[in-house]
Amino acid sequence: MDLLAFLKTRQEQDADLFLHRMFVADQSVVLAGFKSLIDLPQTMMLLQQQARNTVASERPLFALESGIGTCIRDADERRVMEAISEGDLILLPESVPLCIRIVPVNRTLTRAIEAPTTESVLRGPISAFNEDLDTNLGILKKLVVSPRLRTRSFWMGSDVRRHAVLVYMEGRIDPALLTAITQKIESNQETDVPDLMALTRLLGFPKWTLVTRYNTTELPQNAASALSKGKAVLLLDRFPFAIVLPSLLLDMFFADNDMNFPLFYAVSFRFLRMVGVLTNVLLPGLYVALVSVNPEVLRIEIALSIAGSRSEVPYPALVETLLLLLILELTLEASIRLPKTIGPTITMVGGIILGQAVVEAKLVSNILIIILAATTIANFAVIGFHNATTVRLGKYLILFLSAVYGLMGLFVGTVVLCAYIAKVSTFGIPYVYRWRARDRNG
Amino acid sequence: MDKSSQVIAMYLLVHIGLIFFTYPADVIASLSVGHWSAILLGFACHFTLLGIYTKGLSRFASQNLIDIFRGTGKAFAVVLLFPVMAYLFMTMVVTVRVYAEIITVVFIGNTPIWSVMLLVVAVCALISSFGVESLFRTGVLVAILFLPLLLAVFILSFQNADWRYLLPLIDERSASFSYVFRRPYLLSQFAFAGGFVFLGFIPSYIPYERRKVVRASFLLLPLFLISVYIPLLTFGEDTAARFQFPFIMAVDTVDVSWLMFDRVTVFFMISLICFVLLYLSLAMWKTVLLLRSGIPLIRPVQANASLAAVLYIVCALIPDWESVERLLGWNLFLLAYVTMVIPLVTFLLGLRRERMGAARP
Repeated sequence: MDLLAFLKTRQEQDADLFLHRMFVADQSVVLAGFKSLIDLPQTMMLLQQQARNTVASERPLFALESGIGTCIRDADERRVMEAISEGDLILLPESVPLCIRIVPVNRTLTRAIEAPTTESVLRGPISAFNEDLDTNLGILKKLVVSPRLRTRSFWMGSDVRRHAVLVYMEGRIDPALLTAITQKIESNQETDVPDLMALTRLLGFPKWTLVTRYNTTELPQNAASALSKGKAVLLLDRFPFAIVLPSLLLDMFFADNDMNFPLFYAVSFRFLRMVGVLTNVLLPGLYVALVSVNPEVLRIEIALSIAGSRSEVPYPALVETLLLLLILELTLEASIRLPKTIGPTITMVGGIILGQAVVEAKLVSNILIIILAATTIANFAVIGFHNATTVRLGKYLILFLSAVYGLMGLFVGTVVLCAYIAKVSTFGIPYVYRWRARDRNG
Repeated sequence: MDKSSQVIAMYLLVHIGLIFFTYPADVIASLSVGHWSAILLGFACHFTLLGIYTKGLSRFASQNLIDIFRGTGKAFAVVLLFPVMAYLFMTMVVTVRVYAEIITVVFIGNTPIWSVMLLVVAVCALISSFGVESLFRTGVLVAILFLPLLLAVFILSFQNADWRYLLPLIDERSASFSYVFRRPYLLSQFAFAGGFVFLGFIPSYIPYERRKVVRASFLLLPLFLISVYIPLLTFGEDTAARFQFPFIMAVDTVDVSWLMFDRVTVFFMISLICFVLLYLSLAMWKTVLLLRSGIPLIRPVQANASLAAVLYIVCALIPDWESVERLLGWNLFLLAYVTMVIPLVTFLLGLRRERMGAARP
């Protein structure tokens, strides 16, 4: 009974671990598990019930086929602890040297299925993923009712283990993509995955990049449609987002929810989002280029009115723009951190500062306010917060190039961004690729 | 997967970038009546050479020019390809210099030319270092973003056209093709010639259909015509001949009252310059490829960086516009070689290969 001894010493260091002695059909057994994860009274009741049934049908209680649990073969300390930390119950009979792993009644440690908090749906299924992996998988399976759906389970990490499930549709996914993903996961299974950055490393993507190689979505609908298009979906335990591989440029513009509207609307929404991205990336640069380098391009009336509004601003347009952009970025960042109750405060303060006071104090021109407001609004027209972040940085490159080279810099910056986007690829699939759903089984 | 659209986009962009600056002036300088004959002649040559070149290439599936020439013998390849490299380098030098000059003159008078050249060379080196696949994809993205703008400008540019300037349609000089061997006409061939050599360097992982590319070349014909005839129709022959960049001047006359911008030209020119950037990146990529096939030890990044550095230094050493013109003149020989000899040799090698293939079933 060295396992029991081990568990006892372990219990001294881990107050959460329980060792509960009880009789199951007249056999003395010890139950081990974590109090915080297992609902012990319920589990014991179930266990007794099962044992009674087994005895009634005159089968040996701890035989492998009796079915009260799975027997851990060659049970050593590591395996037992793994089973316990995964939330299972360990049953050690005192009469026979066995170690049985039982699926217990778990405590509810997950919130209920709720509406999404980071994406909103206007027309379409509203339930969102939550932290529980099995719940997420369940929602997904409800949406993709297909015999082609396949799941592969992985435990990642050595110190801190994390359950992950790879979901895909057989015959839809490109086998090369699937092999690439599974190989990466399997060969790096010992890597801990506390965050998505670690996942990025695990999947072999570069750390320093402007474009994330995967999309995250809170909406099961999006994950389901990605599956049916032949993409792979990775679900991590305790992560209320599905990770869709690979991410493509058009995912920024094409929401699956669009297809719940007539095609006219869908197309115009998508067009609007593209305009939004272009506005966000180009507008600050355009302002700086037109004001400080190429004012002759503008119509004389507009050029004069801009010059008039800037006449008392003491520094160059680049500094002016950077100053206000900094405040805007700070507002964005702060409003993520702020508790919901004082959220409106920052809106009001920000609105007053950015709207009126800063112009009256002659710190920036009022045209710049309009331009940056349009920029910020446009930024969030794209789908997904991670895509909005991707877009956010591009404008600074263009801003600096425009400040030096004027309109020329603006266009060259655009070409450089295009080239960068064109360079990015995920498992050999270019980011700018137009994904076509296809049936690979013929 | 067929990537013809990428190849076609690149082919079109490269040529559009080259057409609108010097080509109209050269054609207008080479004859005074019946410019269409010069344009059509040039285009016919271009089309024929393109056909021959791609026909030759199509016989060597999944091989590029370097592999093809190497297959015949190493010395043969070196002799044939060294001038190509020289041509590419010269073209890059001239193009960087010419366009930097245009940029400083037209948009940013206060910025010194060295910094403009630095931007151009650095951006080209960056794009070409990303590799040919992303270069082609960049081409498609740039085409999607900029071509609508260009199309609008083309439509607007007819605003001041006076169709009576079309006449007379022909005279003795244009009918007899006597202008063919004069310098302005030969210089005009730059717009036709330099662009399509890249088709031979496309690696096998960018498969394209030869027919589609050849067919797409017809899209260029209206652009060639527009580039010469818009200034002619706007100003008349006598005035148009006085401008260094007649097409740009013609677009400058366009006035759109509902637009917040006064000069549509600037956007037009910058788009063209962006296409030229792609052309330069492509040329740089080709040169690096040739360099590396000659010196296999050199690493791509090193090759790219050193080429960019040399290019920048050479560009900076050119003192004035006259030296640029002299360089352009020298480059004509190389140009003739690249546009005539390389396609013909490729075609003949293709024929030979086919014969050998037929003899050895």
